[in-house]
Amino acid sequence: MGIDRRAFIGLVAGGVAGTLFTPIPWKMADDLSIWSQNWSWIPRVPKGPVAYAYTSSKLCPSGTGLKVMTVGGAPVTAAGNPDHPLSQGGVSSIGRSETYMLYSPARVKSPLKKVNGKFEPVTWEEALTALAEKCKAAGAKIACVSGDQTGTANEVLSAFIAKQGSSAYYMVPSEKQSAAKAWSLMGGAGQPGFDVDNADCVFILGADMFETWGSSIRNRKAFGASRDASGDAKAAFIYAGPERDGTGSVCDAWIPVKPGDLAMVALGVAWILMEAGAMPSGPGAAEFVSYVKSNCSPDKVEAACGLKPAVLVGVAKMLAGAKAPLVVPGSPCGQGGSAAAFMAGMALNMLLGRINKPGGVVALPALPKAVDGAMDQADILKNDLLAFLKDAGAGKAPEAVLFYEANPAYGLPEADAMAEAIAKIPFKVSFASFMDETAALCDLVLPNSLTLERFDDVASPYGVAFNVYSLVKPLTKPIYDTRTTADFILALAEKMGASLGFASMEEVLKAKVEALALAGGFIAKDVQPWQALAGSSAPEPSADLWADLEGGYAWVLAAGAEQTGLGYAGGVLAKAVKPIEGKVVLAPYARQTSGTPVMGIPAQNLTIVPDNELINTATFVKMNAETASWFGVSEGSSITIEGAGQKLPVKVHLSENVMTGVIAAPLGFGHSAFDQYSKGKGVNILRVLAARVEEGAGVAVWDGAAVNIA
Amino acid sequence: MSAFKDFDTTWVMVVDIDKCTGCGACMAACQTENNIAPQPDASNKLRTVSWMTVYELSNKMPFPDHDMAYLPRPCMQCGNPPCVSVCPVIATDKNENGGIVSQIYPRCIGCRYCVAACPYHARVFGWYDPVWPEGMQKTLTPLTSTRPRGVVEKCNFCHHRLNLAKDAARAQGKNPEDLEDGAYKPSCAEICPTGAISFGDAKNAKHKVHELIKSPNAFRLLERLGTKPQVYYYSKREWVRRQGDNYLKSEKV
Repeated sequence: MGIDRRAFIGLVAGGVAGTLFTPIPWKMADDLSIWSQNWSWIPRVPKGPVAYAYTSSKLCPSGTGLKVMTVGGAPVTAAGNPDHPLSQGGVSSIGRSETYMLYSPARVKSPLKKVNGKFEPVTWEEALTALAEKCKAAGAKIACVSGDQTGTANEVLSAFIAKQGSSAYYMVPSEKQSAAKAWSLMGGAGQPGFDVDNADCVFILGADMFETWGSSIRNRKAFGASRDASGDAKAAFIYAGPERDGTGSVCDAWIPVKPGDLAMVALGVAWILMEAGAMPSGPGAAEFVSYVKSNCSPDKVEAACGLKPAVLVGVAKMLAGAKAPLVVPGSPCGQGGSAAAFMAGMALNMLLGRINKPGGVVALPALPKAVDGAMDQADILKNDLLAFLKDAGAGKAPEAVLFYEANPAYGLPEADAMAEAIAKIPFKVSFASFMDETAALCDLVLPNSLTLERFDDVASPYGVAFNVYSLVKPLTKPIYDTRTTADFILALAEKMGASLGFASMEEVLKAKVEALALAGGFIAKDVQPWQALAGSSAPEPSADLWADLEGGYAWVLAAGAEQTGLGYAGGVLAKAVKPIEGKVVLAPYARQTSGTPVMGIPAQNLTIVPDNELINTATFVKMNAETASWFGVSEGSSITIEGAGQKLPVKVHLSENVMTGVIAAPLGFGHSAFDQYSKGKGVNILRVLAARVEEGAGVAVWDGAAVNIA
Repeated sequence: MSAFKDFDTTWVMVVDIDKCTGCGACMAACQTENNIAPQPDASNKLRTVSWMTVYELSNKMPFPDHDMAYLPRPCMQCGNPPCVSVCPVIATDKNENGGIVSQIYPRCIGCRYCVAACPYHARVFGWYDPVWPEGMQKTLTPLTSTRPRGVVEKCNFCHHRLNLAKDAARAQGKNPEDLEDGAYKPSCAEICPTGAISFGDAKNAKHKVHELIKSPNAFRLLERLGTKPQVYYYSKREWVRRQGDNYLKSEKV
């Protein structure tokens, strides 16, 4: 019997109809919907007892005290320690990242040695032996570059190279170093500090003090305390700088000033104060008066900077009329600040009689050292890293260089030339926690444990008006095969037969704390250091300083260094005050959201970076509509910035926050190392930023530079 | 739109715009407190997850008369929330003393009606699975559950902190429904470096915010929509307050 067409159709139709009465198609449709939408596994939250532990942030330059939440002993989040004077509960996005950056994909997970251009893991013992041999061979031809601005680890490292017969210890340039150089030119003693808490009128001369200048969380706390919404502001804040952003946005007034003109503006104010009767005295005063009287009258300032005389008169009146005025000079980008601007700002403080006064300038005496043979901070700060690397680029590099918490291949002006110079160093070692640009160039990478994994300390970050010391203690075992660099250096010295007298960083810190206890001071609990500066009686010294520091409290010493040789350095100023020549000035700025050169962009911060700074791989620079019209560009236009022999492609964001003739550009992007959160994101503006040397002061400055736009 | 719900306790946030430097610490705090995954390409702001966003305001004047301000924007926890009435599955509701608008992730079907209904762009949709780099999931907090892709999420004034504060009050023998000023603070308010964010119970005269919100300089966003937000802003600058709503030029703020 054959199957005809009719039978076939009937069979198929019957089959379909029959199948519909079975659960099969419905089950299949159901399975299809389930399996096509099978959500992948996502992490579950941890379970365990919640507790809090205290330490201080080393990643954040503010040096804030941290209150770390732990779950089952593992650190999960970092908030500000409310009992720490540098944080008072506040923390930056960098300090916040201290916990999750433990697991950053950019972390160096074990010691690495470069073999045929590629890194291979080695053991710590192998690394110790290899480095000891190299250091012995290098002898006194060894140098160290450190980016740790506040740690006693500098004592360990500098004592180590000193034992080798070297004094080539360089700090990564910072506000602290710019200030130290300029302050010593004025004959000042100690580390300049600014008592923002007790000031009632703060004239901020360029310093981005609520973002990158000094202990910025402390500064912001002082600013916040001065203006309670329920009452009138207790202090006025005036910002002078090229861009109204961050710091400038919350100040009572913004005075647009190009980076190279900051000194001129301060001296213009000095001219008005002198006309009103203020009379400088002390070393260099005669040259100062002569220079200011003949070069800095308001009409001359207007001709040079475009500022109306009434603006300067307004500032002078506010300062002169205040009970506790304060001038805070600094760099708008947190580095490469002008020595001339610093000296001019300090001259204003001196004219106003604000040295060693509550709410004025309080320079901090040096803290006692713990390690015998360690170099003095003041001596270290005299060494110029830029000059050292330029020499290295010219073939005059020492045999071996140690890089500690430093990424000069990325974070210095003319970054390409710096990276080339570093590449020419015969043997280089990085103690980086993350695989940064400098570590990538090194022969050995010996990863330092991160803040929450090591013993360390934070001593008096630049800018604070009181000596402050806090402890960094391990809250977890090292996640990876890392070591505290100071411990490793102590072992290295021991192996080389040049023991530094300590077996571990913990011992060094205990010796440091013992020395601090003898220096006086108190624990900031009931009385805060700014209250002591204002006259509150200081409490009794701590009975057990180490225990208090371990508990997260800070030791403070509220006393200014005696100034015996401080003067106006009028002769230096007369040579150093010079504008940046050029139609358009590139003014870099830095935000904490884009991290620091040694840590890259913290993973979580990428969400916070605004889309007027970074979109995909494009960096945006800001200029106002008038500046844009000079070049015929508009919002989103692609332009090329040329400077320091390099060209960088960027995009334009129109912003009337930027003064005419200035292009404001964000630092912190354009990494070629680190991880997916940093690498390839935008461009590194430092590549087109050339440093200029201020005549007379002999200080390299890169808070702004003339550039070409194409 | 649902009816206005009033409670004995009304948790409010007051953001002093004149103190906000736009540093983003509040966003950083929020992300890690609430287990939001890091996003390798976070520049497309339409696809990123962020419960707290800092906006830049401009007075629209050319240099040198230009002025600017930053405005941090969490969920407004509206007294009359437009998102709640549109939710087909009651994944979001306003029914607890304190007035915090809830968001129940396992109930959410990802229809995004609430995202469209929210006039403040406070709600975000998870377009991607949350992925932490290897090991980083060990820094998740036990406070907020992780969410898969495909659901809507938003700020909840760190509601877990309210529970913790109530527990702490109970442990101390105090009334958990009458917390002291400062006993309960969201993460952003806790860590803001300038102290621009105040937080407390608007109905409690002992709380600072009780007075702050009465200031003539205090305002709420899009107040005339009738959403009755529980987030207040504060600015002495008239042009800032004017941007809080769609005022006509002739209207005074």
